[in-house]
Amino acid sequence: MATIVTEPTRATREQSGTAPVAAAIPRPLLAVLLSSAGIVVGVLWDISWHKTIGRDSFWTLPHVLEQLGAILAGVSCGWLVLHTTFAGSTAQRAASVRFWGFRGPLGAWVTIWGTFVMVTSAPFDNWWHNAYGLDVKIVSPPHMVLALGMISVVVGAMLMVLAAQNRATDARHVRGLAWAFAFAGGLLLVMVATMISEYSSRPNDMHRPLFYQVAAGSFPIFLVAFSRSGRLRFPATVSAAIYMGIILAMMWTLQLFPAQAKLAPIYNAVTHMVPPEFPLLLVLPALAVDLLIQRVGRGHDWLLAAAAGVGFLAVLFAVQWFFGEFLLSPAARNFFFAADQWPYMVEPGPWQHRFWRVPKDAAGNFDLAAMARGLGIAALIAVGSARAGLWWGSGMSRVLR
Amino acid sequence: MKTRLARLGGIAGLVALCTAHVGSPDVWYEGAAGPYHIVVNVRLPGVIPGIADIYIQVAGDQPDQVTAMVNLFSANAGTPPPDVAKPVEGGGGWYATRLWIMAPGSNSVTVGVRGSKGTGSVIVPVAAVPNRRLPLNRSLGIILAGLGVFLFAGIVTIAGAAVRESVLPPGESPSPARQWGARGAMAGTAIFSGLLLLGGWTWWGGEDLGFQQRMYRPFGATASVSPDGARQVLQLEITDSGWANRGDSAWLSQHHQRAWSPLVTDHGKLMHLFLISESGMEAFAHVHPKTADSVHFTSPLPPLPRGRYRVFADIVHETGFAQTLVAQVDLPGGTLPDRLGLAPDDGIYLGAPVAGDRATLPDGATIVWERGKGPLVEGAPAPLSFSVREPDGHPAALEPYLGMAAHAVVARDDGGVFIHLHPMGTISPASQEAFTLQQQGDTAAGVIGSKISANDSLMAAMSHPFPSGHVSFPYAFPQPGRYRIWIQVKRSGAVQTAAFDAEVKPANQTT
Repeated sequence: MATIVTEPTRATREQSGTAPVAAAIPRPLLAVLLSSAGIVVGVLWDISWHKTIGRDSFWTLPHVLEQLGAILAGVSCGWLVLHTTFAGSTAQRAASVRFWGFRGPLGAWVTIWGTFVMVTSAPFDNWWHNAYGLDVKIVSPPHMVLALGMISVVVGAMLMVLAAQNRATDARHVRGLAWAFAFAGGLLLVMVATMISEYSSRPNDMHRPLFYQVAAGSFPIFLVAFSRSGRLRFPATVSAAIYMGIILAMMWTLQLFPAQAKLAPIYNAVTHMVPPEFPLLLVLPALAVDLLIQRVGRGHDWLLAAAAGVGFLAVLFAVQWFFGEFLLSPAARNFFFAADQWPYMVEPGPWQHRFWRVPKDAAGNFDLAAMARGLGIAALIAVGSARAGLWWGSGMSRVLR
Repeated sequence: MKTRLARLGGIAGLVALCTAHVGSPDVWYEGAAGPYHIVVNVRLPGVIPGIADIYIQVAGDQPDQVTAMVNLFSANAGTPPPDVAKPVEGGGGWYATRLWIMAPGSNSVTVGVRGSKGTGSVIVPVAAVPNRRLPLNRSLGIILAGLGVFLFAGIVTIAGAAVRESVLPPGESPSPARQWGARGAMAGTAIFSGLLLLGGWTWWGGEDLGFQQRMYRPFGATASVSPDGARQVLQLEITDSGWANRGDSAWLSQHHQRAWSPLVTDHGKLMHLFLISESGMEAFAHVHPKTADSVHFTSPLPPLPRGRYRVFADIVHETGFAQTLVAQVDLPGGTLPDRLGLAPDDGIYLGAPVAGDRATLPDGATIVWERGKGPLVEGAPAPLSFSVREPDGHPAALEPYLGMAAHAVVARDDGGVFIHLHPMGTISPASQEAFTLQQQGDTAAGVIGSKISANDSLMAAMSHPFPSGHVSFPYAFPQPGRYRIWIQVKRSGAVQTAAFDAEVKPANQTT
C-alpha cells in the first residue's frame, strides 16, 4: 500500500496541524458549510412551497438553492481533491486520505459522494414521478436517496471542520472551528428532523408512542456523537440550539410572504407561505446528554449509552408531552408559535386540534399500559442510538485528516 | 400538430386496458365556450398526481387568450389561477398547456377563451385515475445500476480510508494492523450497504405492489340471462362490495373504503349497456337496463344470435365520475325474443360491416363516412365525420336520439378498446352537468343528483331535429389495431345503425 512519507517528526506534525489548516482548508470549508446551509434552507423552503403553492418545476427558487448548494459543495471539494492531488504541498497531501489514486480530506470525499448521491436521485425521482405519480411526501424511496445525499454533504462538511478542529492547537482557532462544527451539527439535526417530520414534528403526534420511538432512534446518535467529539462546553446543546434557530428563523420568515395555492384541490385557502412546525425543544434533551457525558466520562460507554438514551427520552417526553398540548391550544395560534397552519390541500376540521392515534383501550379510555410499553420500546431504541453515537463520536474525535 | 399528437399517442399507448371507458382514457370535447366553438383534448398522465397535456382548438378568428384550469369536484375553498395556453407550432388553431392533476377522481378542466367576440368558458369533466404502471426502461436501468455500483464502491472506499488514514496524524503511514482494520471496515460497510440496498429494493417492491393495488379498476360486474315469465331478461349485477355497502358507513370504515356517490342519469338513462359478439363483432346491441336498487340492472334480452358477448356498461356518479363496467355473457340465441321487446331508444346491428365508406340504413337512407384518403393513426385526431342522406340524395334530417344528433361506439377487435362517443366527444353530458351545477360548499349527496336528473330528462326529451344530416365525433384512436365503428341515428322514431371497419396504424410507422 502506498504511503505518504513526509517529515515524520512531532515538531513538524504540530506545525502542519496549525498553519496548513489556515492556509488550505478555510476557503473550501467555508464553501461547503455555506453549501450545506443553502441545501438545508432550500429543503425547508421547498417543503413550504409544496404546502402553499403546490405547483413547482425544476427551476423554482428553493430547487435552485438546493441544486446550487449541491454543485458548490461538490465543485469545492472536487477542486480541493484535485488541488491536493496534483498541486498540493507536502503538508496538504500529508493531511489527506487516499481514494482511487487521488488525495483529499476524508470530509471532502464524503461530500463528493453525497453530491453524486444527490445527482443519482434526480433521474430516479423523475422516473418515480412518471411511474407512480408525484410523491407528495418526504418518506419515499427517491426522496430518501436525495436525503442521504444531502446528509452526506453536511456530514462531509462536518468531518472537514472536525479534522481541522482536532488538528488545531491555537485556542482561538479551536474555538472558531468548534463553533463551525456545532453549526454543521445544527444543519445535520435540521436534515434529520425534516426526514422524520412525518412522524416526529406535528404536535398532534406528541401523545403517540411512535413520535418518541422515531425521535429516540434518530436524535441520540447525533447528539451523543456531537457531545463526544465537539470542543465547546455543551456541543450537543449548541447544535440543538442552532437547529431550533434555523427552524424558527424559517418559520418566522416564511410567514411574512403572501402566497396562494396554484394547484387543485384547494381545501384550505392559504394566504401566505405555510411555515414549518415549531421546532422540537431539543436543547433540553441535548443538555441532558451533554451533562451526562461530562459526568460519566470515558471508559463506561455502555453505562453512558444507557444513561444518555434514557435521559434523552425522559427529558424529550417531559417537554414535548406538555408542549404538544400547548401547541394544540388557541394560545399557540399566532405568529410566534405558528401553530394551526395547514397546507392548501388539507380540509379543515376539529381533527386538526386533537392528538392523533393516542393509545386507547377497548372502552376508548387512554391506555396507560400501552403508552408505557411504547415508551419502553422507545427507551431501548434510544439506548441503541446513543451507543452508536458514542462509537461514532469517539471515531470523530480522532479524525485528523 | 397531427404529428405531435401522434407522437404523444405513442406515450398514451402505455395506458393499460382498464380505465374510465376501456383502453381509451384521453378526453375529447367539442362544443361551445360562450361564443366560441372549441375542441378540447386532455391527455391524462396515467398516474396521479401527474401532468395532463391539454390541447385546445378554437375555430374561427384567432383569440386573444386561451386559458385552462384543473380542479377536483369536491374542492371547496377556491380554485387555482388558470394557466395561459400557448399556440402550438404548426398552427391548426391549437393551443397547449400542461397542468398537474393532483387528486384522483372526478376532476374538471375549465377552458376560457377571450377574443373579439368577448369571453367564454366551458367545463370539461375528466375522470383522472391511476391506470398504468410504467416499467423501468433498460437504458435508465443501466444508468441507475451504474451509478449504484459507483456509489457502492465509493462508500466502501471511503470507509476504508476513514479507518486506515483519517485518524493518523498528517504524514504518518498506517500500520499493518490498521490496514487490516481498514479492510474489515470495508467489508463491514459493503455488507451494511448491501443490506441497505436490499432493504431499499424491498421497500421499492412494496411501493410498487401498493401502487398496483391502488390502480383504478371499474366496479366488478357479472352479466347473465334469466327467464322472466315468457321472456328472457338480460341482467347485469354490480358485484363490487364497496358499492353494495355504500350506505353502510361502519362497513366502509372497517374496510377502508370511500363512500361512492349515487348514480345519475346520463342523457336520459341510468345505464347505457352495449353487447358486442366476440366472434367477429358481427352482432351489436345498445340497450338501457333499468334498476330498482342501483345494483341489479335488467333489460329485455335483445334479439341477438347465440354466442359469447362482451358487455360494456356506462354509468355516471353524482360527482361526475364516469365508469365503464365490463363483463361477459353467453346468449342462448335460438329462442330469440321478438324485437318488440326493445325500447324505442334501444338499437341493434347484425352482420358484417359495409365494405367501404357508404352504408345503407334500414330505412333506406345512406350514411357516408367522410374519412379522407390518409391512414388512421393512433393518437392523431381521427376524421370521424359522417353524412346521412335521404334515398334521393338530399341531406337527411336526424331526430334527437337521447338528446344527441348521433351516437358512435368504437371497439377494437380484441375488446381492449371500447368507447361510447357523441358529437360532443368522449365526455358524459351528466358529468359536465354535475360540474356546471356544483356550487362551492354544496356537494351534498343527492342535491346535485336531483338537479342533474331534472335537467337531463329535459335534454333527453328534446325534440328539435338536426337538419344537416352531418355528424362528427372528436376522437383519436388510442392504440393501433382493427376497429369497428357503429354509428347510430334516429329517424322516424326508430334507431338506425350502420357499421364500418377501421385499420389504425401505429404512430411510429407514419412519421
